Amino acid sequence: MTRVERRDKAPEPKPEEPKTGGGGISRKEFLEMTGTGIAGLVIGGVVGREVFPKAAAPEAAATPEAAAPAAGGEEAAAESPYKAGYSIVFDPYQCTGCMACAVACSEKYSLEVFPEQTANMVNLEFSRIRPVRFSYVDVVNVCFDCKLDELEEGTDLAPCQAVCPEEAIQTIPEGEGKAGYYGMGYKYVDREKCLGADKCWRCSEICEDQFGSGISFDPIEKKAQVCGRCGGDPECVKACPEPLALQWVPASINGRFFAHTPGDYAKLLYRKMFGQRRTL
Amino acid sequence: MADLKGMTGKIARVDLTSGTVTVIEPEEAVYKKFLGGAALGTYYLLKEGIADPKVDPLGPDNMFQIMVGPITGVGPNNRSVTVTKSAYNFIGISTAGGQTPSELKYAGWDGIQVVGKASKPVYIAIMDDKVEIRDAGHVWGKGAEESEDILRMEVNSEVETREAMLRDADLTEQWAAMRPPKRLGTGHKRLAKVWVIGPGGENQVWFASVMTEAGRSHGRYGTGAIMGSKNLKAIVVRGTKGHPLADKKKYLELVHAIQADELKNYSRKKYGTASAGTRTSYTENAFPIRNWQWGVWSDPHMLGISGPFMDTASFVRKQACAGCTMNCLFPVQITSEDPMMDGHASDMPDWEALGMVGGNLGYFEMEGSTPSDPFTGTLEDHAEHLAKLQYTTYIHDDAGIDFIEGGALLAMLMELRQRDLITVDDVDGIDIKWGDVHAVDEVIKKLVAREGIGDVYAKGVWETAKYYADAKGKPEILKYAQIGHRYAQPAHGVRTGADKDAIEYVTVSRPCEHTGGGGAGFIKGDLAAGIAGQNTKTAGSDSMVVCSFSAGNFAGKYVDILKAATGWTDFADEDLVKVGARQYAMARLFDIHTQQLKDPKTEWDMLVTDRWFDDPMPNGWAKGKVAYEGNKDKLFNETLPAYWKERGWTEDKGVPTLDTLKALGIDDVAGPIAQQHL
Repeated sequence: MTRVERRDKAPEPKPEEPKTGGGGISRKEFLEMTGTGIAGLVIGGVVGREVFPKAAAPEAAATPEAAAPAAGGEEAAAESPYKAGYSIVFDPYQCTGCMACAVACSEKYSLEVFPEQTANMVNLEFSRIRPVRFSYVDVVNVCFDCKLDELEEGTDLAPCQAVCPEEAIQTIPEGEGKAGYYGMGYKYVDREKCLGADKCWRCSEICEDQFGSGISFDPIEKKAQVCGRCGGDPECVKACPEPLALQWVPASINGRFFAHTPGDYAKLLYRKMFGQRRTL
Repeated sequence: MADLKGMTGKIARVDLTSGTVTVIEPEEAVYKKFLGGAALGTYYLLKEGIADPKVDPLGPDNMFQIMVGPITGVGPNNRSVTVTKSAYNFIGISTAGGQTPSELKYAGWDGIQVVGKASKPVYIAIMDDKVEIRDAGHVWGKGAEESEDILRMEVNSEVETREAMLRDADLTEQWAAMRPPKRLGTGHKRLAKVWVIGPGGENQVWFASVMTEAGRSHGRYGTGAIMGSKNLKAIVVRGTKGHPLADKKKYLELVHAIQADELKNYSRKKYGTASAGTRTSYTENAFPIRNWQWGVWSDPHMLGISGPFMDTASFVRKQACAGCTMNCLFPVQITSEDPMMDGHASDMPDWEALGMVGGNLGYFEMEGSTPSDPFTGTLEDHAEHLAKLQYTTYIHDDAGIDFIEGGALLAMLMELRQRDLITVDDVDGIDIKWGDVHAVDEVIKKLVAREGIGDVYAKGVWETAKYYADAKGKPEILKYAQIGHRYAQPAHGVRTGADKDAIEYVTVSRPCEHTGGGGAGFIKGDLAAGIAGQNTKTAGSDSMVVCSFSAGNFAGKYVDILKAATGWTDFADEDLVKVGARQYAMARLFDIHTQQLKDPKTEWDMLVTDRWFDDPMPNGWAKGKVAYEGNKDKLFNETLPAYWKERGWTEDKGVPTLDTLKALGIDDVAGPIAQQHL
């Protein structure tokens, strides 16, 4: 057989010339710095009973950006890693069901909510996103972020929000909330208000009755969990090893359209992928 | 019980006769010696007296185990291992992947041991600590895939199933009028995972598999038959307790590093093990074609077995085991002009299927031609040949039987007909011949149902050969059973010396197993390296438990990740090798003791097909080659004793000496048995 010579390393590079202006910080490095910078920030607002101090939005001016005006001023304005009005979509052909998304999500939220109990533990029950395996078909089960039309449905709240007797499921507007966790118009469960699954499961029931199966309950206090898109920069999408399997894209109008339970999704996929009708 | 990490410290022992469940809590020292999976399971077989020849493999006293290891859970890939006394009366250890192994760990168990026999079909439902024995009448008789679809819905965690609580007052007017709730409550999560047997296992076909996710099987040694003998249809698991880890940060760092490395394996990611078919054939001339009469096609334009051809023709998507980024399984939909095959969902084929129920059954040649002739068909013919192979994979998987043993059996029947050693009447009127998928379909149905001659076939290739040899008075028939240790040889040839050396099949701790891991060492004639490879494989892959396909990605990290999981700071590389050496010694003693072998070499080790030594390769670069240059004596009287010596076993019988057992720290569990056979 013909042998293919493989070369993994590029030819020796010439010593890089120092960049002029911008304090020697490349655009990529700059993005990384602002990303971590903002993740550490608390943007002001009141979330449930937790009060967060105001953080000066123009603080960004103190970052190297000020010293290094980026090439296009328009792009520079869109530097925040946190995106509003986006949604998570999955491609059932590209997803392999490897669970990387669920591990990333559970790690983020178990450490946030129960750092001590989960210090020596990875538990996917904390995950808001779960690939569900059917034979030969994988369905990524996550909140589809229903946006209902008030004229049609009598409410513009998400169904889980609408039925919550304690107003524990909230939508935290852009500019409020805890950066990297919620805010930017995504959902948040106020754990102090939530009654817990022993007393109330209306959110989960309405979701499974007419929509999907986007609500789960944490295994320790049994409080409701719903995907808040990590405040606009979801960890699951970043953890996904398959190009395009999980995408973070500007949301289309989503009334009831994306909502199917995992079993229903799988039934449809059996039709589409294998030309089969199945009972699941 | 010590506060273990990596493992949970608990094994559930389910007695189906009495309907009771007891919790076994092994000492930490036991875990350190055997880790989990294959080694821990083998330890329990000896400890519980399953090696006793009086324990009937298909009787209630045998113990069926399904074990995981310290890495199983959020590992870089996750597998489970079935360990039991095989229906063939030797050790039965088989691994499979999927998401079920992780779920068992999340439920808080390192393994499930099943003894006794239920009075009617049951399944075991595991919801964390709660282990229930439930009626399985509604799935008994159904195929593996359909049973799994049904059973997956039946186990949910406590918070996932609730009565309806919504009232109209909870809703908007519009909803109450137009979309009132169905008042069904919750229960739509489908997070349970299933190990299941098909009709093959129910009917105790000796080579029945334990299946999961339709296409993944604990395929070898018929561990599914043992489940069937206990009236156990399935084990359904849902776990919410997570994977305990000593140093989570370090562990996840290693997991991510291994996953990143796995991602680079383009060939596996794109074509799975099917990508290796062409290599085994054209590079190594070690591919099974027509019951090993050939090892390669003379016409190199044999498109049908190449990864890119199969992918383009049929792969629908890709599917990974939990944690793995290499995704080597590819669901397919069969497209064929033959209505029997058209439209079924199946998988790939993988390498073994490609060989054992592909090339081996003469599926790839046009009718009337042989593998030595040019291929005269069209692209469409290639695609139809692929469909035959995928359909044959499908009927094995859905019946829950092993296509390696099944393929060897079918190919032997075809060769016996080719040589006029048996007649159509001997196969109950089925005119089985090379490439005939309809005849294959009929034979498989018969053997799964154990009807007529199918009852003989259900005992596998060696028993079938013996039956025909006796019935026809033709002892030469035995030669056409392509076996080692009475069990079918997988799709790796030994005659060319490029893929495997015959010594590997003879010495691997499970009869004639193909993933033993000693290959490279043995091919070079380096016994010590071969043994080290075997030990690392059985300890690292089969006891930790991780996938052997990722061995290269794990290289140098096995012990690191084990330490991060368990917190055993003093665990060293040589300790891992010792785990393997223990498993090998215990498995050897198990096989000798349960069969009560007086002279293991002649009664057991030399039971290999004579074709290895007597039938020269007919074509290809390796034309004329045979294993050990045809010198069987050299293999069994020089190499094998040298191998045994290197392991610290006796040179005449291959029995581990008491000194060896003591050095390995297993003289307590293995010593009494060894003493009877030294």
